[in-house]
Amino acid sequence: MTKRGLYKLLALLFSFALIAAACGGGDDDTSAETGTETTEAAAPDDTEPPDDTAPDEVETEIAVDPDARVYGGTVTVGLEAEATGLRPWEDTCASPCMNMAITVFDKLFEIDSGFIPQPYLAESVTVNDDFTEYVVTLRSGVVFHNGVELTAQTIADMFPIQQAGAQSAGAVTSSNLADVQATGDLEVTYTLSMPNSAFLAFLTQAELGFVFEPGAAAADPDGFTFAPVGTGPFVIESRDLDNETVMVRNNDYWRTDADGMQLPYLDSIAFRPIPDEGTRLDSLLSGTVNAMQSLRQATIRDARGERDGGADITLLEFQGNNVGGGMFNVALPPFDDVRVRRGLVQLNNQEQVIEALGGTGISLPGTQWFSPDSPWWSQKVADAYPKFDFDAGVATLQEYVDDPARSDGKAVGEPIDVELSCPPDPTLIAGMAVIQQVWDASGLVNTTLTNFDQQTHIANALGAPPDFVGIHQAHCWRFSSDNDPSLDLNPALAPPSPAIAEAAGIPGVVSPINFSNWFDPEAFTAAVAAIRTDNFEERYALYETIGLRMAEEVPIWFSGHTATMIGVESNIKGVNGWILPSGELGGGFPGAEGRWAEVWVVPE
Amino acid sequence: MTATESPDASTNYPSDSLTRVSTAEPPRGGGPPKRSSVFEVFKEMPLLVKFAAIWLVLVFFGAIYAKLDTVVFGGALPLQDPNLQTNNFNAATGTFGDGAPSEGPSLAHWLGTDAVARDTFARVVHGAWVSLIIAAVAAVFGVVVGGLIGTFVGYVRGVADSIIMSIIDVILAFPALILLLAMVSILRVRSLLVISLVIGFLSIPAYTRVARANSLSISNREFVTAARAIGTKDRTILFREVVPNVLPTLMAFALVSAAFVIVVEGSLSFLGLSVQLPTATWGNMINQARRDLRQDIWQVIWPSLALTFTVLSLNQVGDFLVKRSSVRASSL
Repeated sequence: MTKRGLYKLLALLFSFALIAAACGGGDDDTSAETGTETTEAAAPDDTEPPDDTAPDEVETEIAVDPDARVYGGTVTVGLEAEATGLRPWEDTCASPCMNMAITVFDKLFEIDSGFIPQPYLAESVTVNDDFTEYVVTLRSGVVFHNGVELTAQTIADMFPIQQAGAQSAGAVTSSNLADVQATGDLEVTYTLSMPNSAFLAFLTQAELGFVFEPGAAAADPDGFTFAPVGTGPFVIESRDLDNETVMVRNNDYWRTDADGMQLPYLDSIAFRPIPDEGTRLDSLLSGTVNAMQSLRQATIRDARGERDGGADITLLEFQGNNVGGGMFNVALPPFDDVRVRRGLVQLNNQEQVIEALGGTGISLPGTQWFSPDSPWWSQKVADAYPKFDFDAGVATLQEYVDDPARSDGKAVGEPIDVELSCPPDPTLIAGMAVIQQVWDASGLVNTTLTNFDQQTHIANALGAPPDFVGIHQAHCWRFSSDNDPSLDLNPALAPPSPAIAEAAGIPGVVSPINFSNWFDPEAFTAAVAAIRTDNFEERYALYETIGLRMAEEVPIWFSGHTATMIGVESNIKGVNGWILPSGELGGGFPGAEGRWAEVWVVPE
Repeated sequence: MTATESPDASTNYPSDSLTRVSTAEPPRGGGPPKRSSVFEVFKEMPLLVKFAAIWLVLVFFGAIYAKLDTVVFGGALPLQDPNLQTNNFNAATGTFGDGAPSEGPSLAHWLGTDAVARDTFARVVHGAWVSLIIAAVAAVFGVVVGGLIGTFVGYVRGVADSIIMSIIDVILAFPALILLLAMVSILRVRSLLVISLVIGFLSIPAYTRVARANSLSISNREFVTAARAIGTKDRTILFREVVPNVLPTLMAFALVSAAFVIVVEGSLSFLGLSVQLPTATWGNMINQARRDLRQDIWQVIWPSLALTFTVLSLNQVGDFLVKRSSVRASSL
């Protein structure tokens, strides 16, 4: 099966999951209207932030820069990789790609500083009572780089391309999006097959959120990646793969800043992939590039050292929900027994692992899907998550090892075998070494370390149809994001195989991307209920329930929350504190993804 | 007729005597040919090559020592466990001591410790074993398989030569590292044996070409012509006349090739695709230490030096032996 075919199969299967999930119940009738109003409330009063945060934790505050804006200049940005492509419907768009793509394309919605979707190319939105119909009104007077005007029909014409796209097809199905119609010159109606109160979060993502010119895309789908046409602040000038991509100012850009100044401020912006972390930082220090991104704690540590040593750079650090750790394949013995999973997590010396990862003083220890800064974070879940306790871990594992009915078929007293696998990254390898040493020190575990490239690593966890069990055991992984929890959690909680779905009485509900193969009816029911309401308190309680179930069943373990950084020369302003068209503060730079329309260079 | 062509070669002597002439030291001053001892060869070496040879001996015995320590003596010999994180790890509580894991050189850790407090000297010594085995297996594969194929097609030529060399050229044309990455990924098992065999397989084409070139040359020599003229079977000529004369060149080439193989393994390790962790190799040590280059550059330098010195030494000694065997060959 080709990679594209696999993606489509996954998308199809997952769509069944969500369709069936949505049929599961729920009768909320809350309506929502976005705009300057938000549909999310603050965290309940009984949630207290943790008091054991890292002393030097990432804490760049998102704020608008008060300095006077200046037109002109060029900024060269060092990225950790080349963008695989610039077709929102077809190409995977990770952090480096997002930096590039956001200069060419605008999204229908963007996140605000509270990570709530707010209109961007959209002007307003209304949603019906059962969250199955979203009517979006577009801004007027917006034109694409090729002069074509943005209308509702543009969005409708994008839909067939999105349905067929390798990347967007999955988003179409997992969001329950069934149809997109132009119901006015600037009015678009999104019809969902099943309720989804978090649908707008999909319109802040690359797959469904980026607005591209469908005529240009249809005329030359392959060439579009070199000549993308959007409504964004910059127009692509040249694209030399693995070397440099240059964008120049879009003089017809539709946005102005709060003072009415036409955006963008820069004449041009260039992106250079520099995969090696040290080289990228050196490039910033030497002026070869003027800005850089990093998703590595060790690089943040080194950049801090350079800044503190006098380098004239500004570091914009961010630590969100994204959290590192790993998962157990609960479909395979001995990980099908919660005693093994719990015991191994209790033997995970989290503090030392974070030290090995280079995250001491940078990363917050993870206990759940959300970071302590998130409104979704729960003290109850943090308390319930198994902490490092060597004696308790040994006792828990001993119970399994001494059980004559132990699931791995080994004799009583024999240690369990664990294959711990991570991609071959130096940081992860260091973390693996720590985990292995502590696990093996228990005398109850024989740990084998394996490394496979990223693609193989994912394929090992995905497995093959029809059961998608995978061949992984203890598997390094990243979890969560700063978008709506449903985007990541719901697929991770649905039945992983037809057999499990059948046994659970929900045949056809399958999510192959439930990589840990952990299916818990209580958690899944809560996940389904959480996309049938937009009431924060209700949703918070449901996600807390899920967190407690995960802490109890421990299908996954956590190391630390991922810190990211954008480093810029000190005369580059505006990366922090960009604003939405409504004037509200935007979402900053999560995942080292900058918004470059409002960046300017102060002349030396 | 060249200066070293002996009148004996054009006479119809039995092939046995021709073989002796062809593999022996060229007659100097009319004295009988004799083999040089290792010590005599060492004495012939220039000073730099002598140092290189000594380094290789150290690496060889260091690797053997490390392996004996692990396999035979269970870690009882005075060399630290290369995989033990030493920062006051308490196995009874699963806890580590305070302070940074990475330490500078000390009496306890001659080359310091890496990012997770493993003894760097022990890891460098153990890393030599991986390089040694991979180089040895690649050389054996190359000499035996590549050497025999090359010698055979160089001798018989014709269609067999065209077909086999076309295949060899295709393998040679494919980027070795890419092919290696693909094979390692497909095989999935990352034991030292598997990695060695894969690299050994990829060494075959180079040896084949070297062996064929030498075989072509030797097949035209008078003593081979003479052997054919007296009706000696091709198989006998091949194994008694040609192979023994190709072998010294292949052995010398094996040293030079070993340097290349060690670098290839290092590249594979650097990409995290060589032998299974936590086995120490020089390549994976460099890979793992590069993250902390700004914190402790020495953890990259030590394995890099070991790799550099070893590759340089293999090249020096290999070049010396190639030249030496060329002199011998030209005197045939």
